[in-house]
Amino acid sequence: MKIRVKVNGRWYESDVEPRTLLAYWLREDLKLTGTHIGCDTTSCGACTVLLDGKAVKSCTVLAVQANGREVMTVEGLERNGQLHPLQSAFWECHALQCGYCTPGMLMASYALLQENPNPTEEEIREGLSGNICRCTGYMNIVKAVQTAARKMSGESQEALEEVAANGASAD
Amino acid sequence: MSEVLKPQFTGARVTRLEDARLLRGQARYVDDFEYPGTLEVAFLRSNRAAARIQSVDVTEALAVPGVKAVWTFADCPITLPDRPFQVGQPVLARDEVRFVGEPVAAVIADSRYRAEDAVEKIRVQYEPLPAVVDSRAALADQPRRVHEHRPNRFLHKTHVTDGFNEAFQSAPHHLELTFRWNRQTGVTMETRGCLALPDPVSGRLTVYAGHQSPHGLRGMLARLLKLPEHQVRVVVPEVGGGFGIKAMFYPEYVVVAEAARRLGRPVKWIGDRMESLLADAHARDAIHEVAVAYDDEGRILAVRDHVIGDTGAYAFPGFPGAVGEANWATEMLTGPYKIPHVSIEIECVFSNKAPLGPYRGVGGPIGAQVQEAIVDAVARALGKDPVEVRRANLIGPEDFPYHTPTGKVYDPGSYGESLERALALVDYERFRKDQEQWRAQGRYVGLGLCVFVEPSAMAESEAGSIPYEAVTLRMEPSGVVTAAVGTGPTGQGHETTFAQLIADQLGIDVKDVVVLHGDTDSAPFGGGTGGSRSGTIGGGAAIRAGQALRRKLTQLAAHLLEAAEEDIRLEAGKAFVAGVPARSITIRDLARTAYTDVARLPEGMQPGLEVVARYQPPGAATYSNGTHLAVVEVDVETGFVKVLDYVVVNDCGVLVNPMIVEGQIHGGVAQGIGSALLEELRYDENGQLTTTSLMDYLLPTAEDVPRMRVEHIQTPSASEGGIKGMGEGSLIAAPGAIAAAVSDALAPFGVFVTELPIRPQQIVAWVQAAKTEAQAG
Ligand code: FES
Ligand code: FES
Repeated sequence: MKIRVKVNGRWYESDVEPRTLLAYWLREDLKLTGTHIGCDTTSCGACTVLLDGKAVKSCTVLAVQANGREVMTVEGLERNGQLHPLQSAFWECHALQCGYCTPGMLMASYALLQENPNPTEEEIREGLSGNICRCTGYMNIVKAVQTAARKMSGESQEALEEVAANGASAD
Repeated sequence: MSEVLKPQFTGARVTRLEDARLLRGQARYVDDFEYPGTLEVAFLRSNRAAARIQSVDVTEALAVPGVKAVWTFADCPITLPDRPFQVGQPVLARDEVRFVGEPVAAVIADSRYRAEDAVEKIRVQYEPLPAVVDSRAALADQPRRVHEHRPNRFLHKTHVTDGFNEAFQSAPHHLELTFRWNRQTGVTMETRGCLALPDPVSGRLTVYAGHQSPHGLRGMLARLLKLPEHQVRVVVPEVGGGFGIKAMFYPEYVVVAEAARRLGRPVKWIGDRMESLLADAHARDAIHEVAVAYDDEGRILAVRDHVIGDTGAYAFPGFPGAVGEANWATEMLTGPYKIPHVSIEIECVFSNKAPLGPYRGVGGPIGAQVQEAIVDAVARALGKDPVEVRRANLIGPEDFPYHTPTGKVYDPGSYGESLERALALVDYERFRKDQEQWRAQGRYVGLGLCVFVEPSAMAESEAGSIPYEAVTLRMEPSGVVTAAVGTGPTGQGHETTFAQLIADQLGIDVKDVVVLHGDTDSAPFGGGTGGSRSGTIGGGAAIRAGQALRRKLTQLAAHLLEAAEEDIRLEAGKAFVAGVPARSITIRDLARTAYTDVARLPEGMQPGLEVVARYQPPGAATYSNGTHLAVVEVDVETGFVKVLDYVVVNDCGVLVNPMIVEGQIHGGVAQGIGSALLEELRYDENGQLTTTSLMDYLLPTAEDVPRMRVEHIQTPSASEGGIKGMGEGSLIAAPGAIAAAVSDALAPFGVFVTELPIRPQQIVAWVQAAKTEAQAG
């Protein structure tokens, strides 16, 4: 089957077997191996990506279901060589050890912060409860998401101020 | 000789050098490597615990398009080493299957899908045999022997201290407890897998695998494939967690490597989660029958422990799991307590379950839980506070070096201090008052303690019996240092910690040290990672290598600056004369000179800057310690346990990177919560594993693990740098602390936890029984 999917801002066309799962299509056809596989039962979240902005477990979505839609993977987080605030917060807070769960955690956290830019610790824990990390005990992951939330709201604050300042000078 | 005055990086929270690639999704794990023409393997695994194989028909499987070969034992007649118990696992089952999940046949095809399709088409005729699943029955060879030529009980040993009987019998009080730990496993988020690449030109075989001991894997592959060791190159790329299970040698690796060699094509196998739960090394699965003798003060005078360990169908080469579990648990049975007498009996049996191997902490979690439960049981029997009984039994600072009744020698630690600090962090006295009130309101909150001792950097561990590590250091003409190490990190951050140690020796930036590991072509021979040995032994080697290179840089600088060697300092990328910072030369210039301006070298100095150092610590082990304190609330209606607070006071000697140490602790506590409350591999009476997915084998999520508070005490070891190992202590201590907290919460119902994990239904049943009894009474 022919599909056309926008992945990390770029359209890809591909001929896939109907049984191909999105996770495998990303990894094998697009060589985007940042998306990992950790189970076969939608239990671990290692494969989490965004589909039209919503976090999905790409091991349970068929590639054909993504036809005409937009996917974002861990490889799409960086902007102009700059790490996304979530990536830098994970780094600063030591929120990863073996790194295997990390791409899924980042994408789940991304979706979480889109929906709730200022989550409480409980909301973060609940929001990430579908993503398993065997190394970190989640402590620093929670911290990283909180840190990123602050960074992101700080940045948009700055952006707002910048807009305000520019607006003033244009007057 | 110049000294490192202020270490700039050692002890600092240096963010990790490995993270950039991991955060960008650019890190490459085994499955991320792609070579043209790669064939994939799928295994047909036994669905019986015990059966004779009457026939295997592969005709239909061979007819599936894309299938290159279908192998049974006859096609790949290799058996894993059978020492020391005369039982070796054939890489594909031979005549008989002995556990559910045992590989029976392998399909090699041009894609995993095709290989899996073909697996479905293999027809095996089994003649069922009674399965051995109960370890007590197994002891008496009931219902049968797992291996006809061997009794099920393959190991029996005892250790009794002189005077045990007298001490035990003359004690005023006694109690008995039977502990049971069910089967668990490490569950790395990345499953096991490997990729083998033949090189027809050189005849060499390159094997990519997520493994904790690159050289160990190379040695075993070479031996079994009958290749000279240099003809096998093992490359361990990024590894998604190890926790002991990836230190073992598995049959699948042999089949994949042999297939690559014989078919002349790259061959890959990546296990799925079901395969991982079926056939990764299992752990725990032991019974401890304990008897304790103690006095009126709660001083424990003697402990008897009879262990029955179930190792499954085969013993992993070099590490029969049940023996490892039982040895560690009993050798460390007295933990931080001054218990003079022990009597230990260990019996290990074969059964029709998956082979037992290492999982983080090995027998440590069991030993620690037993040791703490003993103290708590004594306190309860005497109506004393458990803290008071701990204080009465703890080894004090004046007791070091402390000789345990099991022949271990503890180097200094902070047993009492860590306990007192943990109690202060939660305000223990106040907690006890609150607890009373909560109980009056029908809230069952309990506090559990585990004062643990963690042996680390042992001469022998699951990583093998290599008591040293090696580091090759090369400063390039650019001044950047490449360090090659023989350890096998699986997320512990060796690229950062070793760089910190080396950078401090050389006075350069931590980012100018690149640590290479995992490739046997570049790494010096080493034991790998396991038994919490990398920090102490590998770290020691890194320091020694740094020192050796520093000596040469110092000599060269002294010569060029016309100063005495003892006046030379290396700091901030420069060599300078102490007190005269202006008389300096950059390390980069020194490096360039050493390679390209050799006429300026002092007489007799070899050009270049390259050293190898090997390090073996002075003792047989160094002992970390600490205290875990858990506060839990038990919902007696649902049996649900919530961890409300968790405190760790940890002492692993000199901290190289507190951030990384804390990360290890957090992760170990999470695994400990899983061990105590969630994780159980369940076999039914026919030997079928009923927990073959992560929906049945439950791992702790972010909602199960609480926020933790971690503090450090630093009692240095005698090893280079004063470092002690710490990779396992948190999983050693956490299950015992959680179990103790549940016992404490449910004390009003007379509950005392002796079986892990604690199931919610069990809690409900205990509470119901107590209530019924109270009504009847
Ligand atoms: S791989 Fe998708 S949830 Fe585990
Ligand atoms: S960092 Fe290893 S699983 Fe999360």
